[in-house]
Amino acid sequence: MLGKLMKYEWKATWKLLLSANALTFMMTILAWCMVKILDHSGGDFAMMDFTAVMVLFTYAGSMFAVSVGTAIYLIHRFYTSTYGDQGYLLHTLPVDTHHIIVAKILVSTAWVMINILSIYLSVIFLFASSSEVFDSMMRGMKDTIEFLGAQKITIFTVIMTLIAFIFSVFAKVLKVGACISLGQLSSNHKLMLSFAWYVAIYVVERVVYGIYFALQITFYRGLSNTHYTSIFDNQWETSLIAGIISCVVYYLLTWYVMSRKLNLE
Amino acid sequence: MAPVVQCMGLTKTYGRKIALNQIYLNLERGRIIGLLGPNGSGKTTLIKIMNGLLRPTAGEVLINGQRPGVDTKLRISYLPERTYLQPGMKVVELVQYFQDFYPDFRVDRAYDMLARLQIPPQERLKNLSKGTKEKVQLIMVMSRDADLYILDEPIAGVDPAARDYILHTIVSNYNHCGSILLSTHLISDVENILDEVVFIKYGSIVLQAGAEQIRQNEHKSVDRFFREVFAC
Repeated sequence: MLGKLMKYEWKATWKLLLSANALTFMMTILAWCMVKILDHSGGDFAMMDFTAVMVLFTYAGSMFAVSVGTAIYLIHRFYTSTYGDQGYLLHTLPVDTHHIIVAKILVSTAWVMINILSIYLSVIFLFASSSEVFDSMMRGMKDTIEFLGAQKITIFTVIMTLIAFIFSVFAKVLKVGACISLGQLSSNHKLMLSFAWYVAIYVVERVVYGIYFALQITFYRGLSNTHYTSIFDNQWETSLIAGIISCVVYYLLTWYVMSRKLNLE
Repeated sequence: MAPVVQCMGLTKTYGRKIALNQIYLNLERGRIIGLLGPNGSGKTTLIKIMNGLLRPTAGEVLINGQRPGVDTKLRISYLPERTYLQPGMKVVELVQYFQDFYPDFRVDRAYDMLARLQIPPQERLKNLSKGTKEKVQLIMVMSRDADLYILDEPIAGVDPAARDYILHTIVSNYNHCGSILLSTHLISDVENILDEVVFIKYGSIVLQAGAEQIRQNEHKSVDRFFREVFAC
């Protein structure tokens, strides 16, 4: 049943979100052409340069709009299909609550990752269009690799950092799901309460992270310089543990509300 | 065999407001039962608890001897009082959706009913009128061979001709080994198809009796009797 739920979740979302990513692609091509024009204008201001600058501003705006739009759409989709009218069908399907949550979270996370990847690729492609910017980007990458090598950052650390990043994306998606679910515990103002839960959880997270990093810095100050550099090695572990704990907590909150406190009115 | 529905001390409150008050109710198999009461009497709350869409404050409900869960959802075919369809879906995709999730869904029956109403399977649900969407939803629900059909206000807000079609669809397509629980406040339209009636008032069951028994004992129609019981 999990596969079927994921199939229908994907079918319900792919058209709009793929269109958004297609917009990213088109704007990248357009911006790439404009950077080429700016590259060859030789610094003389002309109407074409003004147009190119405007296109680049539009490009930046569209990237922002696509990422924010994707997030808003996924939140809206989660709310309407789970706790809105469509929830009447979803929650009367003969499927386990775990499958419902996992299907929604996996598909939403996949879209967030696709969105992040498409924006990163777009920016890299755009940088590559200007020889000057491309050269400085390559120099920056070389410096970064050398720096990481000097810090004895291994491939293992890089892979674990990527895994930690994926968990952090899962945690962010699950957090939104948990906040929307917690908002359903009230009979009135459910959306407002969901937002209040989000703010409250965000504040708690910041306080916990703040305390953790303050303790970490205090601890490393007491050590020698050799040990101090190992703070980089420690970063992915911290992120991974925080990501996993957040995923578990937000998943359980969502599951608890959906299975024990469901209140479709 | 256990009753298809058993409610034992079922209570639901919203803050201080009591929506259901200590409901004790058994519904037998193979019957068409009218859950009758005015607006706000607790009909929809009771139905949602049976479907696992609401959790009771106290007491419990058993469907086929089980608490609401995956197994009971396999045996209940539920028509809510609102449209729960995804607007972007085509009718054919909706049929596939029901077929994928409900093993007792009869595809041929669904297409037969759609053809009779001349609803094109390739049409998107958002392009259908409100009334047609409600009919599509009813067709999906009645294309299952369920043990219990729970229909919440299936004829509210539709014209008399559509009411006849809906009632005809219900009576001619349900699994006769199962039961139908039909909630409405439009008694005169459904009276002729009911075997049994349950009157609910302010969240309490005030009467459970056979429709024929009421007509014989009270010498009046169920509709007339309902109006007397619920007179303001």
